[in-house]
Amino acid sequence: MTPTVTRQNPPVSLWEIFALFCKVGLTGFGGGMAIVALTERMVVQEKQWVTAEEFLHGLAFGQILGPFSLNTCTFVGYRLRGVAGGVLAAVGFLLPSFLIVSLLAWLYLRFQHLQLLKKALAGTNPVVIGLICAVVLDMGKKQVHGYSGWLLALSAFAAAALLQLNVALVLAAAVVWAFVRALYLRRLS
Amino acid sequence: MLTLAWTYLKIGLIFFGGGYVLIPLLQHLLVDQYRWLTLREFLDGVAISQLTPGPLAMLATFTGVRVAGFGGGLVATICIFLPCVVLMLLVGKYYNRLKEIDLIRVTLDGVLPAVVGLVASAAWSLGTTLGSLHEWLLLIAAFCLFRWTSVNPMLMILGSGLIGMLL
Repeated sequence: MTPTVTRQNPPVSLWEIFALFCKVGLTGFGGGMAIVALTERMVVQEKQWVTAEEFLHGLAFGQILGPFSLNTCTFVGYRLRGVAGGVLAAVGFLLPSFLIVSLLAWLYLRFQHLQLLKKALAGTNPVVIGLICAVVLDMGKKQVHGYSGWLLALSAFAAAALLQLNVALVLAAAVVWAFVRALYLRRLS
Repeated sequence: MLTLAWTYLKIGLIFFGGGYVLIPLLQHLLVDQYRWLTLREFLDGVAISQLTPGPLAMLATFTGVRVAGFGGGLVATICIFLPCVVLMLLVGKYYNRLKEIDLIRVTLDGVLPAVVGLVASAAWSLGTTLGSLHEWLLLIAAFCLFRWTSVNPMLMILGSGLIGMLL
């Protein structure tokens, strides 16, 4: 199961893949694009495991399903050492944050009733909502264009917030709609 | 545990448009539908996943641990990420033959407005947890800081924890 790319230099060891993506997972603060930028610097510029173009393709495909930071790691791992490389890259990337979040969640559940922690967390709640609002505005400015975009964004909001429809179904409907629209746009051009 | 696995697998399969879409998806299923955790606990989970390295999707781990302990966290993490890892392995394999990348791109761009609307709806229902005036003031202050300065979200969340302790 070797990938289609033929490489002159000796193949990267599986251990090396795992270790590098562990490092990405441990130092990748800020989510999403911040992590992708870090991965790009390590994998393309420092290690030169894949070319910048290949990396960008991985990123483009990575946006289909799930978090693209994880998908980009899986893609690079696969290009290097096939299925084992891809799986190890994904596991290495997720392992540090999995352990940290599990530990914090455990501590949270154990000490949730403490007055001081309760107050601290109550202080973070409005800030988290503020952050989500800022993300909405930022994404809205970048991703919502034209009447059809605004119509879709507002209908999704109304369906989920006001009509309380199932969010997964709303999202699935949006995917179908967008796919049909993409086919239609291609037919036009 | 099986219900848990199946729930997260379903979310993993419909996980379009990046990490933030998980907030409305998980909130709807876990808080509104199954009532496995309260809205407050869910919000605390979002804060914790912002504070830690790695994707925001680690929110799945937090909620899994809340529902069924460490094993629950493990099952939740594996199930939510399994579909996209498998998909990416397939993409890696047929990468040279996938010429439909433009179609995928246009489709994704078409979905993103809906993602924006859904994330907004999450903010809307999470806002129902806020009661007092100073919480609303904190929200507005945080929004303005995130919007017009490039202050680090992690520091903001830690700082607001301190403010919460003092208030």
